[in-house]
This record gives sequence, structure tokens and C-alpha cells, in this order.
Amino acid sequence: MGRGWSQQKRERTAVVFTAVLVCVAYFVGSRVGDALRFMPLITSVMWPPNAILTATLLLAPPRRWWIYILAVFPAHYFGQPADRGLLLVLLLFLTNWSEALIAAISVRAFSGSPTRFDTLRRMAGFIAGAVVLAPFLSSFADAAVVSLFRGEPYGMVWRVRFFSNVLTELALVPAILLAITRGPAWFRSALPRRRLEAVAVMVAPVFVWSVIFESMDGWHAFRASPALPLAFLLPSLLWSAVRFGTGGTSLSLLVTIILATSATAQGRGPLTTVPGEGILGLQIFLTLVGIPLMCLAAVIEERGQAQEAVREQLRFEQLLARLSSSFVHLPGEALQEASETWAGRLGESLRLDEVALHRLSRNPLDFVVVSAWTAPGLPPRPPCTSRDVPWIAEQLRNERVVAIERPEEMPAKAARDVETFRRKEIRSCLSLPLVSGGRLVGALTFITIRSERAWSQELVQRLELVGEVFANAFAQKEAQDALRASEVMKSAILGSLSSGVAVLDRDGRIVAVNDSWARLTPEWEAFGVQVEADDNHVSAAWTAGVDGVAAAREATVGIAAVLNGSRDSFAFEYAAGPPAAARWLALSAVPLKGPEGGAVVSHTDVTERKRAEMEAQRSRQELAHFTRVSTMGELTASLAHELNQPLTAILANAKAAQRFLDHTSPDLGEIREILSDIVDDDRRAGEVIQRLREFLRKGDADFSPLDMNGLLRDVVKLVASDAVIRNVTLALDLGPEATAVNGDRVQLQQLILNLLLNAMEAVAEASPEKRVVTIRSRIEERVVHLEVQDTGPGLQEGVADVIFEPFYTTKAAGMGMGLSIARSIVEAHGGKIRAANNAAGGASFHVVIPLVSATRT
Amino acid sequence: MSTGEATVFVVDDDASVRRGLERLLRSAGHQVATFASAREFLDRNLVAGPCCLVLDVRMPGVSGLELQEKLTALECDVPVIFITGNGDIPMVVRAMKAGAVDFLAKPFDDQELLDAVDQALGRTRPRRSGRDLH
Repeated sequence: MGRGWSQQKRERTAVVFTAVLVCVAYFVGSRVGDALRFMPLITSVMWPPNAILTATLLLAPPRRWWIYILAVFPAHYFGQPADRGLLLVLLLFLTNWSEALIAAISVRAFSGSPTRFDTLRRMAGFIAGAVVLAPFLSSFADAAVVSLFRGEPYGMVWRVRFFSNVLTELALVPAILLAITRGPAWFRSALPRRRLEAVAVMVAPVFVWSVIFESMDGWHAFRASPALPLAFLLPSLLWSAVRFGTGGTSLSLLVTIILATSATAQGRGPLTTVPGEGILGLQIFLTLVGIPLMCLAAVIEERGQAQEAVREQLRFEQLLARLSSSFVHLPGEALQEASETWAGRLGESLRLDEVALHRLSRNPLDFVVVSAWTAPGLPPRPPCTSRDVPWIAEQLRNERVVAIERPEEMPAKAARDVETFRRKEIRSCLSLPLVSGGRLVGALTFITIRSERAWSQELVQRLELVGEVFANAFAQKEAQDALRASEVMKSAILGSLSSGVAVLDRDGRIVAVNDSWARLTPEWEAFGVQVEADDNHVSAAWTAGVDGVAAAREATVGIAAVLNGSRDSFAFEYAAGPPAAARWLALSAVPLKGPEGGAVVSHTDVTERKRAEMEAQRSRQELAHFTRVSTMGELTASLAHELNQPLTAILANAKAAQRFLDHTSPDLGEIREILSDIVDDDRRAGEVIQRLREFLRKGDADFSPLDMNGLLRDVVKLVASDAVIRNVTLALDLGPEATAVNGDRVQLQQLILNLLLNAMEAVAEASPEKRVVTIRSRIEERVVHLEVQDTGPGLQEGVADVIFEPFYTTKAAGMGMGLSIARSIVEAHGGKIRAANNAAGGASFHVVIPLVSATRT
Repeated sequence: MSTGEATVFVVDDDASVRRGLERLLRSAGHQVATFASAREFLDRNLVAGPCCLVLDVRMPGVSGLELQEKLTALECDVPVIFITGNGDIPMVVRAMKAGAVDFLAKPFDDQELLDAVDQALGRTRPRRSGRDLH
């Protein structure tokens, strides 16, 4: 409130001061007017007070007009000769200010800027309203008053008053207005040469009147044509019109009018034939010359302004072009320096005091200073932050342009902004939001401190173009930074991988590798392939393939398939380096999704995993062997029986033969039969031993085509005695078809043996006649189905899924490995095993193994 | 030497063992009849006169011990010599208690069997010759 109050007070003081000033000017004007009077006429040749009042009303806002009209009354009253009555004075005052009022109202109606005369249109408006219409109308009243009170002829009074007021308005009003509005600035900025010229153009009419016209009586030419001397007035007037615009012209005209009037009034000069008529002639002459002159000056000024505007625009466009070109391919790191340089250039070219460039940071969302420039001669200060000018920052965040000519223009809620402006002595400010791709990226701010600046729409539009350049540069920098960050992250990730990664283009050429690639490359060399960065991965692998490294050939085909899109991915493992298979590497290739195509190939050292796998394989084999041995332990009794049978037969036969030979006439035929039987039995015992040995053989898997039915029969023989001992009936139900599978004999025997022993165990508790184990085989859809069915108690509910897990057992003495091994054997043969209860009781184990023709060799 | 009319019956599921034992017993002068199973022996109904039975313990179907029990039940007092590939003590005890003459583990010495047969035949006193065993 305090600020508003003091401001109001200041304004009031200014009004009072102006009123006094106008009053004084009015008084002086009326004295001058009196001096330029042809006695006995009451009307002056020139009457400045009306023009002074007109100029005041054009300058002042209409709501204060009454103040100035009242203020000049004392001047009017005291300026009048003492012999005039109060009524006359009052009436004349009325006619005078009515003229000023008409002039001010009509000029304001014609022109948006009543104090400017820099276009032909404005000048025409001024001439029509203030110069012609106002004197024309007011002179009727004035002539009436004068003729009524003083008996002077109406027509002559009107005519004299009209022309004198036309001339006064024409010369004085622009002179006063321009002297007040533009004079001080002109004096400050004008060069000495120009000032000298101004003085010369003002002195020229004085020279004409005091030198030429004084001595013209002696000039023959003047006497021959009396109008010729008037031509001497034209050069200085035209000079001022061409060189000094409307302001200079009006002053020059004023000087000429004063000189001409005073000389003519004193009976000197070229227009002195009839005193009154000479003045009228002079008035008409000066009016006819003055109006076109003023128009000419306005046109020239308008042209000059247009030229200046074009030049200004050109200069700005050059600036903009240079700005754009220097920012268009600007690397991100150079943005800072370039923006500082350009903030300065913009500031200098636009005659500003400060230019600041802010970037909008994302987190937190705030404006951060990028660069700031301060005009030379001013102390550099830190640019405003969002906290200093919250209202402006808010406007910018909403992508609105903020143009402030005076701090007082800001709304009440911008109190903090106004406070900051006052503290920093900021007079005018223009802030532009920088928007790129529909996204706010920053702000560009122009500030004046030493003077106020009106931000014309044109200027704002131009500066918005500048803003666009900065906005694009910011957006580009952001994109570059983001790209660089993603590059850094990518290379950090790639660098941290222990796998060697290479990026291939669509032709298989290596375009990028990570550090691990270089480390793994020696492995490749050992493997027979030499792949360096920039090499063609596919052709290198192919070359190695041609040279006989089978894995390289496989890699070639696989990678090429990924590159041409026929495969989604490719992976395989290979051994590398001497000694053979010292290292294991896994290769994988995946396509690069994108228009360019290509693939990412990685090599991973999987030696440790491979070793562990092989270790596990060995452990499995050892465990399998151990269980075979222990299985044999279970079969000892029946094996003993198996061997005892032929041995018993052999011994009995041999002893019988001995006895027969002791007889007197031994039957040699019988002896021959005996020996034949002994040989058979011996062979039979040998077979048992052979089967046993095979079964207990220790070693790696050896896959070869086998007849499944033959295997089943062998194993059944192995457990036949056991079945007899346990009183279990083994029923074979083998399909008639050939059952060739690719497998390891020992493993498959173990599988069948485990299933048979398991089944025989299951039926142990049943009554002897119900102890039946049925072994079936059949072929269906290129697989062999084996089934071992028992008549035992069946599986408990939920057990079917877990019985194949290691160490699952229901037997007191069992290890729980039998079925687990059975499953791993089946899976190693590419088959499946499952267990289920039979509808009629007991359980069935079902094994499926692919036929040899159906498996990969 | 053995008496001419005495017969040694051999019951064993293994053909070659049967043939070997038959030859051995024949070489010692015994009259021999062989059977592949207990059922076959029972079906033939031959127990008459001096005779003895050489019986395999484990056989599919009716085992040796079961046959012995059946004969006892039929009051057929034929002396029995058990032969087995893998006899255990409970089995031997059971057989001997049931009146077995001897229990021989395969492979056995020829003399052992012949002695056992002689012993058995010397003891043979069929209560009812020609009796239908069924």
C-alpha cells in the first residue's frame, strides 16, 4: 500500500508541476501573440496559447484535461489587455479552449498515437483535425464574440483568426510535442556534425530575412516580380523537411512564421503593400507551403523508418542465420561456450543490459542457468532463479511468453517478482519459454536496466525464432547426453561380461567386440580359427571348416542361418585348445533386431561346467556299477544255483563215464553222449559266467543297435533261478516285430534287471500262485514299449511321481537308487519311464525307447 | 552191490542234471527212473518194491519239500535223498525232520550220492506195495 500511496503522490506532484508549467507557457504565449497583433484588430496574426493548450491536451490523458483547462485560465485572464471586460475575457477563453478541445478530440479520433507525426496518415489526421477543423469551427464563435463586443467586422475577424490559428497549430503543436517527446533523445544521440546542421537550418531563414530581404530593394529582379522573394524561403524549409523530419520542419516553419510575421508587421519584407492584406497573404502562403511540407516531412520520416525497419530486420535475420548455422551442428560439449558467446552478441545487437539462458532440469523440475551476459559497464550479477521470480517461472513452465515493460505491469500475485526487479533495478524483461518437439527445455531472458523497453510483437516474434535455435540446441544436447549415457552403460555391461561378445553386420563382419573377446581369441586360434575385430566371422569360421575343424563348420552354418534370418538363435559347445578338449567354449548367436540386420555372437568359457558335468557322468556310472554289483549280491543264491546245475551234471556225467569205462565192455556210444553233455553243460556254465561278467563290466557307455527282445530274454535268464527260488512266475509276452534300439547293452540290462527285481520284490508277500511278473514288449509309432507288470500290492497313492527320485525307498535294506538309475538310463536313451497301478491290482512300469531308425545317430 | 529190482527215482527240473544223475546211478548198477517235476512223479504212481527218491528241493510248481510232505501224507514211506543247489540250514532241518535220508549240496561227490542211495534202499520197507498214491 505504501508503494501505491507514494506513487500516487508522485503522480499528483507531476500533474501540479505540469499544470503550472502549462499556465506559464500559456501566459508567455499570449504575450507573444499580443506582440504579433495588427492594431487595431483584436485578433493576432499568430496565437500560441491555443496551440499550447492543444499540445497539452494531446499529451495528457483525457481524464486530466479539466485540470489543465482550468490551470491556464489565470494565464489567459492576466494575459489579456486590461481594457477588456471579464465577460469578453471569459468568452474568448471559451472559444480558445473549445478550439483546443476540438483539435485534441479529433486528432485522437484519427490517430492512435496523437503525439506522433511520423507517418503520412498521422500527419493527415493532425492537419485535418487540429490544423483545419478546430480553427474553422472555433473561429465562428470567436468572430461573433469579437464583433459583438468590439464592433469589428465579422468576416474579417473570422478570416484573420482562422488563418492565424491554422498557422499556429500547424507550426507550434508538432514543434512542442516533438520537442518534449523526442527532443532530449535527439540531443543526446545526435553527432556534433548533425547538431551544427540543425543550427544552420534554423539560422537560414534569419539570414534570408535579415540580409536578403533587407537589401532587396536594390535588386532589379525583385522589383520585376514581387512574388520572387518568397521563393527564398523554400530552400531552408525543404532542407529541414528532408533532413530533420516533422520535428525539424515544424521548428523551421515556426522560425519562418515568426520572422515573416514580425517583419511584415513592421512594414518590412516582400509582403508589405497593404498592411492587413500583406499579413493575410503571408498566412495563406505559409499555410499552403507548410501543409505540404509537413506532409512531405512525414512521408520522408515514414520512408526512413520503413528503411530502418527493413535494415533492422535484415540485420536481425543475418544474426539469426549466423546463430542458426553456429548451433546446427554444434557438439554437445561446445554448447556452453557457444551460448555464452551468443548471449553477448544478442545483448549487444539488441542494446540490452542482461541476457540469461536457462535449461530446464528434469529432476527436480527447475530452471538452471546455462549462460549469462551482462552489458559492459554494468556490474555482472547472478541471474534470477525460480525462487527470485516465481510468477515468471510459473508462466514459463506453462510455456507462456512473459513481456514486461515496467515492473508495475505485473499482477498482484507476482509481488515477489516485483520485489526482485526492484532489488536488481530491472526495468523491463522479456522471458521466452524454449520449447522443442512440444517439450519445454529451457528459457531465454532479456533484461534492460538503464532504460525501459517496449517489447513489440514483432520483436518478440523475432526473439522467439532465436529461442527456437536455442531450444533445438538444448534438445539436441539432451539427446546426445542420453545417447552417450546409454553408450557408456552398454559398454560397461559388455565390459563386465566374462563372455566374449562380438557384433556382426549383416555380412558377418565383426563391427564391435568387448574386452573379453580379445581374451578368448587365443582359444579360437588354438581351435584353428583366427578371428580378429574387423574380420569376417563367418568366413573365418568357414575357412577353418574347410581346413577340417568340424566345429567351425557347424558354427559357420549356424551363424549364417541367424544372419539370413532362417534361425532365431543358434548355440553349441565345442572343445578348444591343445591338449584336446582342455577348454570348452559355448557359442551362441542371436540376430540383431533392426533394419541393418546382423547378429551378436558370444563365446563363453564353460570348461568348469563341462568338467562338472563329466564328473557327474563318471559318478553316475560308478554308482550304476556299484548298484549292479550289489544287485548281483542279491542274486547270489540264484547265481549259485545257475552254476551248480551244470556243474552237478558235469560231475555226475564224468563219474558215470569213469564207472562205465571200468566195466568189461563199456558202451562207447554212451560214453560219447556223456562227453557231449559234459561239453554242453560246461558251455552253459561259461555262459552264466559271461553274462555276469558283462553285467558287472565297468566302463563308458557304448551305444550300438541292440535287439530289445533279446535283451529281455537274457535278463529273464539271469533272474530265472531267483524267480524259482522266490516262487515267482515270470511271464514273457514279447511282440513279434524286430525291436532294434540304439543303446548301451549293460545299461539296458540293468534297467530291465532293476525293474524285474523290483517287481519280484513287490510280489513277495503275495500267495505263491499269485506271484506273477509279466514282461511285455510291443512296437507302436516308432517306439518300443516295455512293460513290467506285477501282482503285488501296487503303489501307494501319490508315490508314482517320487519313486524315481534318488534315495526313495520302501525297503528296509534298499538304497533307493534302483529306479532312479532306471530313469537316468531311460533318459540317456531318449526315452521315458512311468509307473502306474493296474486296474486288476499290482503296479506296472512302463518304458518307452525310440526305435533305432527314429533316433539320431 | 545193489539189488537188481530196486529202483531209484530222480526228480529234478534240470534236464542235464537228470541225465547225469541217471547215468551215474546206472553206472553203479541201479535201476533209474527220472521225472522233470513232482507232478510228473506223482502222476506215474510207481512207488512199489524197494525204491528210493533223489529229489531236487527247488522246482517250479510243487517243490521237493512239498512232494515229501505229500508222500508222508499219503503214508508212502519212500526214503528221500534231497539234492539242492543252495540249501540253507532251516531247509535241511525241515527235510531231515520229515524223514529224509540225506541232504546233498550240488555239486556233490558221486560216492556220497551212491552211499546215500544204498543206505536208503537198505532201509526201504514199503508198507503197502502197489498202493495207489492218489
